Amino acid sequence: MGNEGFYQEFEVFSQRTDTSPLQYQFSLLAPNREIALVMAQENFMRREPAADIWVVKRSDIRKLTPEEKQSLQRLDNKDYRTTKGYGYLKKKWRHYEQEMLDEKEILSWGGMKKGD
Amino acid sequence: MSEALFFQEMTEEQKYEQFMKRINAGEKIEADDWMPEDYRMTLIKLISMHGISEIMGALPEKEWVPKAPSLKRKLGIMAKVQDEMGHGQLLLRVAEDLMKPLGKTREDIMQDLFSGRLKFHNVFHMEAPTWGDAGLIGWLVDGAAIITQTNMLNASYGPYARALKRICAEEVFHAQHGEAIIMALAEGTEEQNAMVQDAVNRWWEALLMFFGPGDASTTGTSKQDTTIKYRIRTKTNEDLRQDFFTKYIPRVLSLGLKLPDETMHFDQDQELWVYRQPDWNKFKDIIKNNGPKSQERLGLRRTAYETNKWVREALNTAN
Amino acid sequence: MTEPVSKMPIDAKVKPALTSLLYQLADDDFILAYRGSEWLGLAPHIEEDVAFSSISQDTMGHAAMFYQLLEDLGEGNVDSLAHARKAAERRNAVLLEVVNGPGHYLSSAQYDWAFAVVRNYFYIQAKKIRLDSLKNSLYQPLAEVALKVNMELYYHLLHWKTWFIQLMQAGGEARTRMEAAIRKVLADFEGVITLGPLAKDMAEHGLIEPEDVLKQRWLLTMKPVFESINLAVSEADLAMKNGNGRIGEHTADLDAALTTLSEVYNINPAASW
Ligand SMILES: [Fe+2]
Ligand SMILES: [Fe+2]
Repeated sequence: MGNEGFYQEFEVFSQRTDTSPLQYQFSLLAPNREIALVMAQENFMRREPAADIWVVKRSDIRKLTPEEKQSLQRLDNKDYRTTKGYGYLKKKWRHYEQEMLDEKEILSWGGMKKGD
Repeated sequence: MSEALFFQEMTEEQKYEQFMKRINAGEKIEADDWMPEDYRMTLIKLISMHGISEIMGALPEKEWVPKAPSLKRKLGIMAKVQDEMGHGQLLLRVAEDLMKPLGKTREDIMQDLFSGRLKFHNVFHMEAPTWGDAGLIGWLVDGAAIITQTNMLNASYGPYARALKRICAEEVFHAQHGEAIIMALAEGTEEQNAMVQDAVNRWWEALLMFFGPGDASTTGTSKQDTTIKYRIRTKTNEDLRQDFFTKYIPRVLSLGLKLPDETMHFDQDQELWVYRQPDWNKFKDIIKNNGPKSQERLGLRRTAYETNKWVREALNTAN
Repeated sequence: MTEPVSKMPIDAKVKPALTSLLYQLADDDFILAYRGSEWLGLAPHIEEDVAFSSISQDTMGHAAMFYQLLEDLGEGNVDSLAHARKAAERRNAVLLEVVNGPGHYLSSAQYDWAFAVVRNYFYIQAKKIRLDSLKNSLYQPLAEVALKVNMELYYHLLHWKTWFIQLMQAGGEARTRMEAAIRKVLADFEGVITLGPLAKDMAEHGLIEPEDVLKQRWLLTMKPVFESINLAVSEADLAMKNGNGRIGEHTADLDAALTTLSEVYNINPAASW
């Protein structure tokens, strides 16, 4: 009876509502993914809603090693890829008597109907 | 970065130094991170004992699950004991990941329990002969557990801290579930009142023991200094016991209950509760599985585990 | 759910059939949930313990809803209905009261997981079919409860069916144990299917469809499952070996269960707990 038997490791993810992102919950042991799936909600989401559940066998996940985590570091010199690098436009648009279309303004357009 | 020194190139001392620097800065250690052997072993011992205590802790209350006196209480206590099994699940997962490099699994944890190598909390070796005990466990044993568990919410080991966060959220329900039972009994008939008082008398010494000895001189062993050094917990056993008194003694007395310790009082000068020490020799004996219910509960756990062995064997092929 | 009585006066001709049906529904769920609660802490692995307990809680919650309908009809309060009735007054199927296996739930329990899986799976499937029919019951409060209860049965079914199929497919000792459990469950499954002596009245008053329709539906639903795991089950296998619970026939297992489940309640039934 090897360790690869009944007690296999699964990672559980869930979505709280249809619009929320998938969230990591916890890990559990189960002999296969079917059983893992029927264990998941009651073990980790007994008191919260769930709209979807994923179980992933841990051995199928490629994680960074502690050393590899150093590869995540970046210099703080990348204003050009954020709005921070373009803040000066606000003043310029004012010169043309126009409002700046910033993030808040643009993301508010989604629900807009004519005449709003 | 100045720490461009690659991890593999560091000496053990440098690794240790960096590790201590990390935890002292409040960083969390994760399962795959390098950690001193002493840290790993301390965590394994602490968390596997915590986890298996949740599992064994389900047994004294289990008696009262089918017996609870109303539909609502039957449902409430079922949910409460289920949570305790769930706490065991969370904690054993954390312990199992720590043991993995040592080649150990849940199977080993269960076998260690059966052989007596792995101990469980003193309170779960005790008898729970009445419904009053069921209420008292939820109220005061869980109350004591809340005090020790919240003390570790900021533990340096990330997976443990995250499991404790889930657990403590559920403990709030446990405490209220226990209070509801006790309150109904305290406000009920004389017979019901007596049930609570008997339970308090029966559990008081075990509750004092729950926090462990004040220092190593009492029982010869105490891990509290190590766990504080590694930022797994912050307060000492005695600090926690005093916190428990401060939170719960006024509530116990307010319900008209008496403490079975006439010496118990708050000393204003020392700002400490003064109390009669429990019998620490008895404590040592109890956690060696010589408590009143130790063998019966271990027997039940072992029988169930062996009776179900065929299920685990039937589904043990990887698919 | 406090005023259905005034909303819908019950025809005296309908009432016996209606209460009989409600007692069956409530008692079935109550005693099976009780058996489930004895399993707490003893399942094959910890994760399953947690999942199984949720199902037992749901099931006892369903019993409480059916007892509430009885309380609304003036049959007594829910807690006395659940705790104070003697075995002869209980209307649950005998299969659901049978012990989980040898031994006591506190000391020597050697519970049979195969029996748990088969009993629960077969029962939940029958319950699902019954509740689907009750969604159209002419007794509106019952139809409303059926709609709610039905919601939780999808998970119960998925859970038990998963265990059932996997253990059946595992072969070897598991298959042998499962087949023994299937024989044991079928030998009393007629007792689950039957709606008792008033079954005809229940159908005539539009409370639920006829017993045989429900039975055929169960057989039809199970057929592809049985075929997929190479199991031959025929209608003739369904029997009522240990008595008809719908007329108050029960086993000593129920007496022992009632003593345990009402032990604290009986200290003082009038007290508030
Ligand atoms: Fe707990
Ligand atoms: Fe708790």
